[in-house]
Amino acid sequence: MKTTNEEKMQEILKQRGIAMHEVENFDKKDVPPPHDSFTKIMDIYWDVKISIDMEDPYWYNRVWWENDGDVLIVRRAKAMAAALSHGTPTILPHEKLVMQKTKNFRGAFPYPWVTASFFNKVAENLMAQVDAPAECEADMVSQVGAGGGNVCQNYGNVISIAKKFGCRKEDIPILVKISKNWDGISVEELSYKYAKMMPDYDLFQKVMDSVICMLDSYTIPQGREIINYYLPLEYGFDGLIKICDEKIAETMGEAGTDGVYGMDHGFYYVAMKEICKGMSKWCENYANRAAYLATIETDPKQKAEYLEIVKVMNNIAHKRPANFREALQLTLCCHFGVVNEDPMSGMSIGRIGQVLQPYFEKDMREGVTTEDEVLELLELYRIKITALEIFASAGVTGGVLSGNTFNNLSIGGLNKDGSSAVTPLEYLIVEAGMRAKTPEPTLSVLYDEKLQEDFVMKCALCTKLGFGYPAWMSNQCGMNFMLRNYSDEGMDLVEARAWCLGGCLESSPGSFQPLHYDGKVTWIPGGAGPTASTGVHFIALPKVLELTLTNGYDHRMKRQILPAHNKKLKTYEDVLEQFKTYMRAIGIAVNKANNIQMDIWRKYNMPVVHSLLKANCFEVGLDIGKGGSLYTATINYETTGQVNLVNSLASLKKNVFDDKKYSLEEMTDAMIHNFGYKTAWETQVFSLDTKVATAETDKYAKIYADCVNAPKYGNDDDYADSIYVDFQDYFPKMVHELTSFYGKPLYLCQISVSTHGPQGMITIASPDGRLAGLTFADATVSAAAGTDKEGVYALMNSATKWDHSINQNSQLNLKLSPNAVKGYQGTKNLLELIRSYMRRGGFHVQFNVVDSDTLRKAQKEPTQYRDLMVRVAGFTQYWCEIGKSIQDEVIYRTEYENC
Amino acid sequence: MEQRKHVECKNYIHIDVDKGMCALTKQFVPMDGEGSLACPKFVPMPSCGNCKNFKNPDNYGIGTCHGLAKVDWAYSTCGAQGCEGYHEGK
Repeated sequence: MKTTNEEKMQEILKQRGIAMHEVENFDKKDVPPPHDSFTKIMDIYWDVKISIDMEDPYWYNRVWWENDGDVLIVRRAKAMAAALSHGTPTILPHEKLVMQKTKNFRGAFPYPWVTASFFNKVAENLMAQVDAPAECEADMVSQVGAGGGNVCQNYGNVISIAKKFGCRKEDIPILVKISKNWDGISVEELSYKYAKMMPDYDLFQKVMDSVICMLDSYTIPQGREIINYYLPLEYGFDGLIKICDEKIAETMGEAGTDGVYGMDHGFYYVAMKEICKGMSKWCENYANRAAYLATIETDPKQKAEYLEIVKVMNNIAHKRPANFREALQLTLCCHFGVVNEDPMSGMSIGRIGQVLQPYFEKDMREGVTTEDEVLELLELYRIKITALEIFASAGVTGGVLSGNTFNNLSIGGLNKDGSSAVTPLEYLIVEAGMRAKTPEPTLSVLYDEKLQEDFVMKCALCTKLGFGYPAWMSNQCGMNFMLRNYSDEGMDLVEARAWCLGGCLESSPGSFQPLHYDGKVTWIPGGAGPTASTGVHFIALPKVLELTLTNGYDHRMKRQILPAHNKKLKTYEDVLEQFKTYMRAIGIAVNKANNIQMDIWRKYNMPVVHSLLKANCFEVGLDIGKGGSLYTATINYETTGQVNLVNSLASLKKNVFDDKKYSLEEMTDAMIHNFGYKTAWETQVFSLDTKVATAETDKYAKIYADCVNAPKYGNDDDYADSIYVDFQDYFPKMVHELTSFYGKPLYLCQISVSTHGPQGMITIASPDGRLAGLTFADATVSAAAGTDKEGVYALMNSATKWDHSINQNSQLNLKLSPNAVKGYQGTKNLLELIRSYMRRGGFHVQFNVVDSDTLRKAQKEPTQYRDLMVRVAGFTQYWCEIGKSIQDEVIYRTEYENC
Repeated sequence: MEQRKHVECKNYIHIDVDKGMCALTKQFVPMDGEGSLACPKFVPMPSCGNCKNFKNPDNYGIGTCHGLAKVDWAYSTCGAQGCEGYHEGK
């Protein structure tokens, strides 16, 4: 019997052209296919190898050294402009949106000026045809998926680098020659030179060697932030060059009252002029290439496409965009320009559906375009973003990123005036995500109670398809974090509404800026802070607990890693206090070392393309490194393995200190002997899907059972949950005591990305019953697989016992059986689940809608499942390009049969 | 005279480290081995290697560029479509 609410829903959907029965029986097969152009280009994508080449590094290096002695920001800008404007432009048939990072489809390139030692060591070995050693411990424990576009082994004239990238043999001598120029003076090496002057450098080095900390900041110094497209949209490149000329005349030689940075303004605008000229020429190169292709093309339709590209690229090379297609293309130009200037991950697109809505609206009103044409462009846009690669070590690309580059597209949220920010264009963005199945851009709904019902229903339908997007974030929680963290820098409630996700889940500040287009002003949101990362990168909390119990000795590495504390830990509080002592010392050492890295980076390798775009830099005439952006308190402290830590502390408290069943020494002994089972390093299975007994299993059977059965987080059981609540009280305060290179306090970021794989691999068995080498529980508030026995609402109760807006984020991954979300009722239940969680204070939830059997089959026969995508932790990725340790963890995640 | 390859042709569209696509036929063409030699419709792609300002390449293809304001090293397979100093001459 229909209720009033159902009748209302039917009416809303009817207005959107969606019949009720379509919703009730909605299934994957009901999603219209993507456009032909998308399919044809993806047919190429499936066969593409991830490739590096040396054109950009060559030009950067050449022009950098040709300008030796010049003011650094100008020198950097000239080098960057040269790299952008000299690369070979590639246009594929059927493309309508053009531009790529490099000449190759899934192309990337190394940055020897950031990291030279790796290339100087590895590249010479490659030249001598010797297998390259792993660059560090993190690389040895990081797994890159062996399928898809990854080049895992040498073949023919192609050399595999970092287990993922193919490089032509003839490019190796170029790489070696360029890298030698940077020997000893890359950001990496200069940073380490000065970090060695820290009294706790030895501790820092050991923490890095043991992978307690996953990576250095210089490896990906930008990203996990939101880009800003406003200035080129508002002024065009010629307009910006004109402003630069005016500003140079105004500021050159004038310090004003600023005796520290006053003189830098003039140089900044000189640099920005170089960047604008370089970006403009880059666009013209594409226009010229399209013009040539048009001359040789015999198919009239394709010829017309090439000529349209000529027109678009020639226009945006100089002027403000005149329509939606030009505006979208210009944003791509800016995005590629920024992601080319550093090894970078997580340069999020932001709320582009709101940024480009004015262009869409005008074109639709004037009959310049149709929804179908816009949908096609959005589908093709997805390929462009998915093809973005980052060249970094295996530890970074595999161990942290699982090959993803996290260009997150946020939808929803609120406007400047507090109304729902959902636009008609955003419905098409979701539709494109449903039809054009690619991992990127991932979609993130900034869920607010004000969002239109049919919009959130559409988003829920998309989530149900099982591609892993959209993920859902609480807009109010995000805004509250913004106000907590940035009010000291002047952020108010209105500006807080401009926030969205950087990277996969790094809440980042934004700002509303006035776009003058179509005879009106639209306040569009864009990024307003630098990287919301690059402080401390992923401390493996269970590993630090392990070392607390083993007096700082790492039994896996057979080395003393942390200073021996030599304390008898007689009570639970003693254990906790020593854990905190170790964490404090690690945080101080790693933070200082990363501050040095980021300071060297901003002095010698300052962002230039990005400093043109980021809100406020152009207005004040200062680059991002010098604090030109609106907000600078963005640097975070990342952790992994939280839930294993909490469960381990609960087990210690229960088994050792409350029930007194075992001594701490007996517990530690059992951990060191892996409770009598084979380790994951031996079995090569990284979840509890497989346990292989040994002769010692019986000896530890009882203690193992007691550890497994100890109270676990995620069951609405205060015994375990209170430990997590306590952690969420003391740990953010500890993090806040650290200050960044901007002189601002750090804050806690609680996402795992893929670090729970390699950092689980370096951790022996833990008191929660986790065996040695097993991947940690993913995310922050996801239960350890198989331990949440009281259903999903109990998990959500556990997860919301503290205020999520204290920290940058919390992360909850749920795996639902497809049956759990079947039909119209399934969609409603899914939405109700999300709403319930957010109303209780939860910040984030994302879903896999896939059954574990399918994943097991796909693991055995990856080529049969080439386009299978899963949600890992904040991102969607092709299954075959994910490393096994993460695959095992995703398979083993608790699967909910209903919601 | 050395036989030219698809990868050296202006009609070549780069795909990845072992193949490209011919803009005329829309077919994949390999960079190496069988099928990699250019067809009669070959048009040289602007590159350092076929620029008259590029001199004395060594066995790695690294030579000297005299085409821009400052003389510097360059390498023969570097694309020159965007280079202001490029003059086809080889």
